[in-house]
Amino acid sequence: MSGSNEGTELKVTRLAELPRSIEPGRDLWPNIESKIKEIQAAAPEVSGASVIPPRRHRARLSWLAAAAMVASVAVGVWIGRSVLPAAGRGAAGTLATKSPPGFEAATEATAFDAAYVSDPRYQRQRAALLRSLPARLAELPPESRAKVLASLATIRKAKQDLESALGKDPGNALLQELLVDTYQDEMRVLTDVHDASEPGRGI
Amino acid sequence: MRIACGMSMALFVLGTSAVGFAAEERTFDKTVAAQPHGVVDISNVAGEVQVSGWDRQEVSIHGELGAQVERVDVSSDGGRTSIKVVLPNHTNGHGEAELRIQVPRDSEVDVSAVSADIKINGVQGVERLNSVSGDVTGELGGADAEVKTVSGEIRLKGHGAAARLHVNSVSGDVRIEHGAGDFEGTTVSGTLGVTLDSARSIQARTTSGDVRLEAKLARGANVEATSVSGDVSLRGSAEDGYSYEVSSFSGDISNCFDVQAEHGKYMPGSRLQGSRGQGSGHVRIKTMSGDVQLCDRN
Repeated sequence: MSGSNEGTELKVTRLAELPRSIEPGRDLWPNIESKIKEIQAAAPEVSGASVIPPRRHRARLSWLAAAAMVASVAVGVWIGRSVLPAAGRGAAGTLATKSPPGFEAATEATAFDAAYVSDPRYQRQRAALLRSLPARLAELPPESRAKVLASLATIRKAKQDLESALGKDPGNALLQELLVDTYQDEMRVLTDVHDASEPGRGI
Repeated sequence: MRIACGMSMALFVLGTSAVGFAAEERTFDKTVAAQPHGVVDISNVAGEVQVSGWDRQEVSIHGELGAQVERVDVSSDGGRTSIKVVLPNHTNGHGEAELRIQVPRDSEVDVSAVSADIKINGVQGVERLNSVSGDVTGELGGADAEVKTVSGEIRLKGHGAAARLHVNSVSGDVRIEHGAGDFEGTTVSGTLGVTLDSARSIQARTTSGDVRLEAKLARGANVEATSVSGDVSLRGSAEDGYSYEVSSFSGDISNCFDVQAEHGKYMPGSRLQGSRGQGSGHVRIKTMSGDVQLCDRN
């Protein structure tokens, strides 16, 4: 693969040599905006059949909005039932244990928890670890328990900060990578706590 | 009546002295034959585990056992010696034991503890050291090491012998000196401070803890350091140089070779990239809000 840059042939042999992003040399938005306005102005004249009448258009948008809301509620119910730890529900083989103070705040799902990491196996494993976490924490020395909860709260804060930054810049590869790293760190902590409190086993 | 009272008193005195005897600390000593390159497994809930290497083909155990410790089980089978502090069920895991264990110098040592500190010195075999809330301190041998804690600190000193070193803590600080070879370290909120005499690869990751790396990088070495909100500092020298790529969403990027970081015109974030020397190694550092410092001088 090769590319040319102002008459100079650059040979690229590995993907890593390619720039991760290329910024335009100038602000492109004014041109894009004027093009959009041109298209909007010309639209009714293009073809009567292809243009949706305003009332039908509004009705279609309403249906789309209603469908999106139903889908959001369904996803929310699914997350609530299958992903988040339910109160009083213990993991298989584990007695349900009262959560220690700060547990909910430290482990509450963030906005992208289900949407961003969609691998069902990951979701199942995370949910199971979260369900057994109160019982596992109860096995730890009090000082460690407090530190684990503080670390989980730190991870949750990091996820929120990254998600908030991604909300402003959704295509940012750096933020996406750091968010995935943070999900992995959360799983590592949950797994370490699980293993550390397993009777007869160390971490 | 008087006889009955006297007998009751005697029984009471006998009972209290028995309780006193049971509550006293006691010592444990045992020595078993072992192979020079065997495995020594040690398990202790609370207290301390001190392991040191020696030139004999024996494992020697000396223990100071707290009142709530039931016994110490020692077994030797083939090349594996197992030492386990056993607590009665009702103690809820709080019986303390201080173990001093000498092992053949080239043994592999696996220690598992809950709130016991682990100290290791003079062992040249593989080290696998796990403690939940205890600290892990001592020397790195010449072989690979895997060290994990949940809240305990990790402080280890090596002798510059190349090996694979993997350290992992949830909230404890990690301090490694004179390591070498391949290093992989992660913490969530602890600080990661590492000096490596000769590094082939470094992977360091924290969520909010700072990362401070000092290393002489071998030819073609790979360094990857990431943090969400912690600061990252790398002082890495390399005879054959390295290419570097540093990016941060909202943190500052500085360096000691006067190269300006680029700031996005229409997007947040800054980026520094370039090459030092022949550029044979690769350095990649990423943060979201943490500051980054890069220098090619130790």
